[in-house]
Amino acid sequence: MNVHQTSWRAGRGLRRIALATIALFAAPSFAMAAPPAPTNVEASDVTGDSGGQAIVTWSAPANAADITGFQVWRSETSGETAARNASERTAALAAAEAQAFENEQKRLVDVEGLSPEEAAPQSRAVARQAAIGLARTPDALTVTETGPHGTHWLLVDTVSPNVDSLVVSKLDPTTSYTFIVYSVAPDASGRPERSAASEPSNAVEPVAAVLNLYRLPLLIILLALCGVVLLFILLARRGMPLKIRTIAGLAAVDEAVGRATEMGRPMLYINGIQDMDDLQTVAGVTVLGRVAKTAAEYDAKIEVPTSRSLVMSAARETVQASYLTAGRSDSYNPDLIYYVTDEQFGFTAYVSGLIVRDRPAACFYMGAFFAESLILAETGNSVGAIQIAGTAMPSQLPFFVAACDYTLIGEEFFAASAYLSGQPDQLGSLKGQDLGKILVGVVLIVLVTLATIAAVTGSEQIESLVSTIKTVILGG
Amino acid sequence: MSRQAIGLIVVLLLFVGLLVVRAGIGKGMGRVYSERESVAMVQVEIPILDVVEGEAKGTVGTESVWVPAASDDAVDFASADSPRVEWETTTPIKPGTYFQDPSNAAFELDWPRTIGIWVAALFTLAIFSFLYKDNAIYKIAESVVVGVSAGYAMVIGFWDMLVPNLLGKLVPMFVQTHFIPGMTDTSVNWLYIIPAVFGILLLMRLAPKGQWLSLWALAFIVGTTAAIRMVGYIEGDFLSQINATVMPIYQVVEGANGSVDVYSTIWASIRQFILLIGVLACLTYFFFSVEHKGVVGGVARVGIWFLMITFGAAFGFTVMGRIALLAARFEFLFDDWLWLIDPTNQRTIPDAVAVLGM
Amino acid sequence: MLKRNVPLLITGLIGVFLIVANFFPSLSAMSEDFTVFFGIIAAMAFVLGGGSLLKVHLKKISDRNAGWAYSLIVLGTFAITLAVGLLKIGVPPNPGFPDKPWSGSVNADGTAFEWIYEYALKPLSATMFAMLAFYIASAAFRAFRAKNIEAILLLGTAFIILLGRTFAGYYLTGWIPIDGPFSGLRIEELSVYIMQVFNTAGSRAIIIGIALGIASTSLKILMGLDRSYLGGGN
Repeated sequence: MNVHQTSWRAGRGLRRIALATIALFAAPSFAMAAPPAPTNVEASDVTGDSGGQAIVTWSAPANAADITGFQVWRSETSGETAARNASERTAALAAAEAQAFENEQKRLVDVEGLSPEEAAPQSRAVARQAAIGLARTPDALTVTETGPHGTHWLLVDTVSPNVDSLVVSKLDPTTSYTFIVYSVAPDASGRPERSAASEPSNAVEPVAAVLNLYRLPLLIILLALCGVVLLFILLARRGMPLKIRTIAGLAAVDEAVGRATEMGRPMLYINGIQDMDDLQTVAGVTVLGRVAKTAAEYDAKIEVPTSRSLVMSAARETVQASYLTAGRSDSYNPDLIYYVTDEQFGFTAYVSGLIVRDRPAACFYMGAFFAESLILAETGNSVGAIQIAGTAMPSQLPFFVAACDYTLIGEEFFAASAYLSGQPDQLGSLKGQDLGKILVGVVLIVLVTLATIAAVTGSEQIESLVSTIKTVILGG
Repeated sequence: MSRQAIGLIVVLLLFVGLLVVRAGIGKGMGRVYSERESVAMVQVEIPILDVVEGEAKGTVGTESVWVPAASDDAVDFASADSPRVEWETTTPIKPGTYFQDPSNAAFELDWPRTIGIWVAALFTLAIFSFLYKDNAIYKIAESVVVGVSAGYAMVIGFWDMLVPNLLGKLVPMFVQTHFIPGMTDTSVNWLYIIPAVFGILLLMRLAPKGQWLSLWALAFIVGTTAAIRMVGYIEGDFLSQINATVMPIYQVVEGANGSVDVYSTIWASIRQFILLIGVLACLTYFFFSVEHKGVVGGVARVGIWFLMITFGAAFGFTVMGRIALLAARFEFLFDDWLWLIDPTNQRTIPDAVAVLGM
Repeated sequence: MLKRNVPLLITGLIGVFLIVANFFPSLSAMSEDFTVFFGIIAAMAFVLGGGSLLKVHLKKISDRNAGWAYSLIVLGTFAITLAVGLLKIGVPPNPGFPDKPWSGSVNADGTAFEWIYEYALKPLSATMFAMLAFYIASAAFRAFRAKNIEAILLLGTAFIILLGRTFAGYYLTGWIPIDGPFSGLRIEELSVYIMQVFNTAGSRAIIIGIALGIASTSLKILMGLDRSYLGGGN
């Protein structure tokens, strides 16, 4: 055996060892190749909604044990494509212009010996021409799409591996979309690696339905609440006896007006600082009508500085009508209802000064208030006025409760006008509100009991029932 | 002269005296410095680099743009008869910057702003004087704030609401030409005739026999309010609050190792139960049909206790915020006006250069 | 008849349209326009408010009532602010369109209108706001003479919450062990429980009540049962 033969044999052995080693190292990477893509990607419009939503479904690939999630991507709208192309073109032109400027500047400064400041205008002109020329060269700036299936896609969301559908929202209801899905799995080194893109889904246009069925429960609840109130109004008209409990603040209105008449001092009525687009202001105007009627009967002076022009107009209408009803239309003075200023603290400064100077016997604060509530109530306290407040601003109720003699809390304020009118229609509506509260109480007790049973026993059916009710009906 | 008048005069003289002393010590007080700059803009035609749709082959479109007179575009394209507009701006600078370089021609004492600081300080003190008692100085400040704020609201209402939203929708070309040149949508939106009509109806109040027409505008507004608020409150407040209260009373709390922490679970469940009882008790308080007597009365009592705790919590929460407002006012008086404190280093001369020693 | 019924009809029709529009996606875009409509009408109503302001103060001046000089100040500052703002006096043009003198923003830096806002309106309003610190103290002092259990609850809770946000409160109860059975009595924990349980319960009930009140009031308005704002009870 000659040396070459020996070395060839040895070499064959070495090659075998080398092959085996390569195979050993290659095997894991073959086994850990990119995960398989999902299949059967389908898209459909979400029906009965207000538009812009589509559902994407897919089938997880077989042998997908190590998949850690799926990525859903959508196609671009033509507007997005145009915007992206435009910005890429602009960037490319700007880069070309900058490069041309640099080259020309270098040439002028280094070769022709000009100073940079002298060379700059000419370089700019040359750079502009270069960009102009580039823009007009056909296909020089055309963007080639390198995304899957030859188009550009945008990532929507990543979901967990046991999910096979996704609701995509915030889409344009007038555009057609397609979707692709990727699988994600860790590679050999543990980093997430994406599969190839799935086949694109069918095109779908996420149109708006004629009627938004998702809001149907809200409509039903609205109709139920209104129906309940209407029912009691009708029953009241038919002569059903109505008993309403005494609300201290409202029973005190007569007392306050009487006091003002006795002391010969005016009453002050503040309708809040918001405009007629706040229902508290409208409710305040209604209560003003009732208080003004009592004031007209007692011949007391009621002054109404307002913070908004529209509120002034509405208040004047109300008070004029009240004086007319009380048979005192000649005592009505429209100048006692006037506009001060829109600005919160300008109004507060004025009213504080007014309270301290005129020393009203009674102050009414009925409507929407913000931070100035305490200033007004405390100033009224300092002159010894009887103060009755009513508001549905939860943040200001503490201050009125602390500083006023009587406070109508939230719903009591909305009940005030009904209460003060004493009419069956109005009182019937209060009973309707009470039934609404009973319904709320019953619903709360039932649902909380169910939820507790579900939590204690672990029953999945009861839990899904409760959560369905919460999501669909209670909007959560 | 009454004792009170003498007392007031003494206080006033003391006050003025202290101010004079403060103004004389150190760098003085209550001044604002600014840098005067001149802004010059020139209108030039610059070529549009990219291809514009529909342009003829071989042409390059141009667009008319206003650029600063010192910019490259102006140097390249402005000619002697290019339209040119110039105006001056004054930008406030820190007093420290001025003190470091008082001979800089662009830096100057800004008289309007300096007078403004003094006016603002005096107004602040005037409003605070109301805490002692109502007085002429407070009345002056009150009159100023009423007049200024009423005017301010009307100006903002005109320029920020009527011009873009009414005139901009009904006569867009006029508005774009004169007031909002950057407006892009110049088509007439006829829907906005509706508020124009109702607004005019509202102004009929001023006409002797036209008052009844203004009621139509009020009816429109109140109808809009009632409808929007009804749906808004039922959806946003009513249902969402019920939703949030529907939680199981049995609240499981898990410890660090995943096992159930019995003690915390009991307390969490008790808290959830108290929450539910509280909501129901407070709702009972708001019941109108039944007098607060007997069982209902007892539950309503519990309800009002819950409400009082709620109000107390809100009260306690806001105290700090209000004190912070007062602190802000004092900071204005002592920092910006009297120059007695300098928390943000407005008046220290930057000596970083000295520190670097380069 | 017509005078009374047309406004009620307008209210009812607009109201029903807007409620229904919530449920039909094609109409809901229009209901957003209605919110802007309100802003426009409110801005046009400024004419009425301004007119009322002028009338009240001019009357005081002409009758030489007590304090007529202050009415002079009100009208003077009002007129100056209106003139400076509406005529955009001293407003530089928009830097993007310098050839359009009216294009600048009325409250840009350095304008007279901005001066009025910065050195008159802002300090006056902010100081008025800051006075709340004194008023809140006086309210607390007066209510400290608590006579009934409700007042005690209100003040006690206010005190606990206030202390819980200061260092003093933290040190006061800092000795209670955090892991023990009484950890809930530490003031910062107590504050949290009060907010999470009692405050939440009360707030929820108030808000539910308010929502019911609003639904009922809106219904009465839209049905025409509540029409005092139109000048008339029944």
